[in-house]
Amino acid sequence: MAEQSILVIGGGISGLTVALEAAEAGHDVTIVEKNPYLGGRVAQLNKYFPKLCPPVCGLEINYRRVKENAKVAFHTMAKVESVAARDGSFDVTVSLAPRYINDRCVACDACAQACPSYRPDDFNFGMSKTKAAYLPFEQAYPMQYVIDAASCKEGCGQKCKEACKYGAVELGMKPETLKINTSAIVVATGWNPYDISKAQNLGMGRVKNVITNMMMERLAAPNGPTGGKILRPSDGKEPKKVAFVQCAGSRDENHLPYCSYICCMASLKQTTYLKEQYPEATSDIFYIDMRTPGRYEKFYWKVRDMEGVSFTKGKVARVENAPNDDVTVTLEDVMGGKRVQRTFDMVVLAAGMEAATRQTPLPLDINYTDEGMIIPSSLKPGIYAVGSAKSPVDVAKSVQDATGAALKSIQSSLLSAGGRK
Amino acid sequence: MSERILNPDLGFVKDVINAGGESLKKCYQCATCSVVCNVSPDDSPFPRKEMVQAQWGLKDELFRNPDIWLCHQCSDCTANCPRGAKPGEVLNAIRKMSIEEFSVSRFMARIVNQPVFLLLLFAVPVAILLAFVAGQGFLGGNIPLQDGKIEYGKFLFSLKYIDPLFSIVALLALASLGIGISKYWKAMYSGLPAGSTPKMGLGAAITDTIKDILAHNRFKKCEVTKARSTAHMLVFYSFIGLFITTILAFGKVILEPQTGYLAYLGHPVEISESLLTGLIIVYKIIGNISAVALIAGILLVMANRMNNAKKAGLGSYYDWLFISIVAGLGITGLLAELLRLANTPVAYPIYIVHLSFVFFLFAYAPFSKMAHMFYRGTAMVFGKMTGRI
Repeated sequence: MAEQSILVIGGGISGLTVALEAAEAGHDVTIVEKNPYLGGRVAQLNKYFPKLCPPVCGLEINYRRVKENAKVAFHTMAKVESVAARDGSFDVTVSLAPRYINDRCVACDACAQACPSYRPDDFNFGMSKTKAAYLPFEQAYPMQYVIDAASCKEGCGQKCKEACKYGAVELGMKPETLKINTSAIVVATGWNPYDISKAQNLGMGRVKNVITNMMMERLAAPNGPTGGKILRPSDGKEPKKVAFVQCAGSRDENHLPYCSYICCMASLKQTTYLKEQYPEATSDIFYIDMRTPGRYEKFYWKVRDMEGVSFTKGKVARVENAPNDDVTVTLEDVMGGKRVQRTFDMVVLAAGMEAATRQTPLPLDINYTDEGMIIPSSLKPGIYAVGSAKSPVDVAKSVQDATGAALKSIQSSLLSAGGRK
Repeated sequence: MSERILNPDLGFVKDVINAGGESLKKCYQCATCSVVCNVSPDDSPFPRKEMVQAQWGLKDELFRNPDIWLCHQCSDCTANCPRGAKPGEVLNAIRKMSIEEFSVSRFMARIVNQPVFLLLLFAVPVAILLAFVAGQGFLGGNIPLQDGKIEYGKFLFSLKYIDPLFSIVALLALASLGIGISKYWKAMYSGLPAGSTPKMGLGAAITDTIKDILAHNRFKKCEVTKARSTAHMLVFYSFIGLFITTILAFGKVILEPQTGYLAYLGHPVEISESLLTGLIIVYKIIGNISAVALIAGILLVMANRMNNAKKAGLGSYYDWLFISIVAGLGITGLLAELLRLANTPVAYPIYIVHLSFVFFLFAYAPFSKMAHMFYRGTAMVFGKMTGRI
């Protein structure tokens, strides 16, 4: 049986799609996810294309499909340690970090309430804190708390344990190692937001009220640090003049030499978030070229025609603090031929996508581009890569790609069962 | 926006690329460069505008533009360019071409800026100087000493040969530069919108420009290549020092009671011995300090260029020819002095080499990067008069 199984590395929208499509076609699938929850980057979005629905609607149905399908197994807080090819199949070693909370957890929040320690909330990009015993986010799947051992010190764990009526807190939990034999591996490791503080002139981390596009998603999301109200970080003021700086790191050989594909659409989308909350607010989008692939062009027209939205050709190359916590950007208005300084309440950097494999390459014989993206043509038989592990893509393209990869991995596992040539 | 028909000059685009602007076509007009440039004005900033003009082969717009010379090639643009389009290098190539465009003669300009002609260019002064040596009857090596010491003045009989030669060469070069500069001025003037009025008088603009140049005010605004202004300042002031030395030495050559020019021409003047000695001491001090500063400065220039190569680009033949000539001039000058003091016959050929470098610098000044100070100075004056800087 194991010979016909498929291993999916990464439980984001791509990995979930591969796993569900293959499992619903009758194949055994195991998902290995590094986070304590499934859903990946999509879970962090306020709304996503193409339908601009909140992730609840898209992810929840996938969570249910996972829950209801006995052929899908998944491991969270898991990491692939090694892979050895053997007779057309792969022996994969996976390590599991201790969650310190077992599956008796009913998510009653008692442990978090009792917990005296805090940790920066990475789900909200550090814009808020959670207790050291926490649920990653409201709709997290599995609906199971986690204890962050690094932040939970000096009797903190004991307090959590005492608060739990269900015996779910297990402080003695140890790291585990799993051996999985699989006939196909699908790499769905996804992306990280590029660390745009490396572009010092753009002010991230140096200038107050400069945030990234992913932070804007969290600010606008109902389960975000501000309960879905867009407020600027320094003083909680409602931002009425917002600038979007396109190509923050992308199309730049000093950072990411490629177009990150999604950032123009993200800024247009976030302009709609802003206008929905503050109809009188203005949005200024500074771009090199607006790139709205395929049918997205229509969305561009829609946002372009909104009142208070303006587009200026010219890359912002300097961002500085201004009085009252405002932010001044400098650019050359290319069409007007003038260098201008403009001051805003808040500046959103449309930071690009970086393949997760750039920071953490897999223990697999895979070739990467200089930027850490997987080169599909270099993959060995039985190994596939999907979505943003290969190139920057949106959710829709990731899902299409993942569906195709599901078929390929099924073929591979059938071949493997018949003895791969 | 008014409609305009552009006539791209594709040959010009190729010329820019061949002149050291290989990266020109990489520019995608994001305008990062115009923002990071600290010497560019807010209104129609450079160098983004020049990049698109060059891509479209708009030769006239570029050549009549004061901006190509208001750029000091700080290379902040090049370091921050997201595409490796190196605007600093491209503008440098355009500057080189504009020198060729305006200089008299353009034929000479083309020869000076092509590596294949380098030896030929050097052969000219070497041949002339060797002819002088032969004229003195010293080619066989039988050179008489002055009180048992080497004296270059006697070796080449400077009154008769060297001084007139270099005076003529310098005057020709100045005349050529003057014509080039006036052509550039007219071109810039033709690019002004109709009805423009000067924001500043010519005299005030010149004074202001000289102040800026002396203090390196604009150069100091560079960020990536910050160290360059110090190196440039060393070279710049040592040139001034050497210029003063030359003038004073020339004064001595004219005035000396028995051996001076006036005496040679039969009109000796009375001049006190102490005044003459004082004059010699003064210019020797200035000359030696300047020589050392020149060598230190030009070595720093080289080191900076090497260190900045990754961020700012290494530069082209046009840059390195000028740097090498200045370095060669300084080093052989100091060597000639030391060898003369050491009283060794090698001093003579070194002196010939040194004079060849001097000749090279002066004779080819209107066509080489030496001309940059005149063109940039002119653009700065124009920029001040039009309120551009």
